[in-house]
Amino acid sequence: MVITKATIKKKRRFFKHRKVCRFCADSSLKIDYKDANLLQHFLTERAKIVPRRITGNCAKHQRELTVAIKRARQMALLPYTTIAPI
Amino acid sequence: MYQRKYEVFFIVDPDLPDSDLKSLETRLKEIVAREGGSVLSYNSWGKKKLAYSVKKRTRGHYFLMEFLGGSELPQELERNLKIDERVLRFITVKLDDRYEPGKDESIQVPPPSYDEASTEEGSSLEMPEQKEEQEQENE
Repeated sequence: MVITKATIKKKRRFFKHRKVCRFCADSSLKIDYKDANLLQHFLTERAKIVPRRITGNCAKHQRELTVAIKRARQMALLPYTTIAPI
Repeated sequence: MYQRKYEVFFIVDPDLPDSDLKSLETRLKEIVAREGGSVLSYNSWGKKKLAYSVKKRTRGHYFLMEFLGGSELPQELERNLKIDERVLRFITVKLDDRYEPGKDESIQVPPPSYDEASTEEGSSLEMPEQKEEQEQENE
């Protein structure tokens, strides 16, 4: 039972379509630390940076993005963390 | 000798009168000029709600200044910004190592993109659905 479950999972993974880096696909899209609205898309609800395995960004742009997000945080454009709703 | 291109982005106390904003502007421009640089642009980006409070303020007035200068200039400018109590926070970024006036690749982006209207908005462009799906898979 366990083995079949695992194999199904593997198969599904194989058929998953490839995501493309948004910044490679659209060259007019610039990563800028002052553009908080754009950077917001790459944060979770808790304001953590979303890993690139989920967003599909390429390594180069993910690197630029993390730097931009960290700068935006310094300038209080983005939060470091959000208050727990409880 | 090539000059470097920098930008300094800073937050000013939002309750300041216009006269103070003017005097701050002239002061910063003076510093740049004194150190042998030149100011390319000085723009207000409007007032915006801060993501977290800075020096007990919840709102801030953002400014962006682009300038040319040598490697010592940002240091001197930051020293002055630190002293000035009207400035809540600042960041200096080097845009270009060798600035040539001819190749103006950065054609002015519309500066006042902030301001009250565009502060709080939860625009959803794309991608959140597939994100969730992925997260489940990775467990």
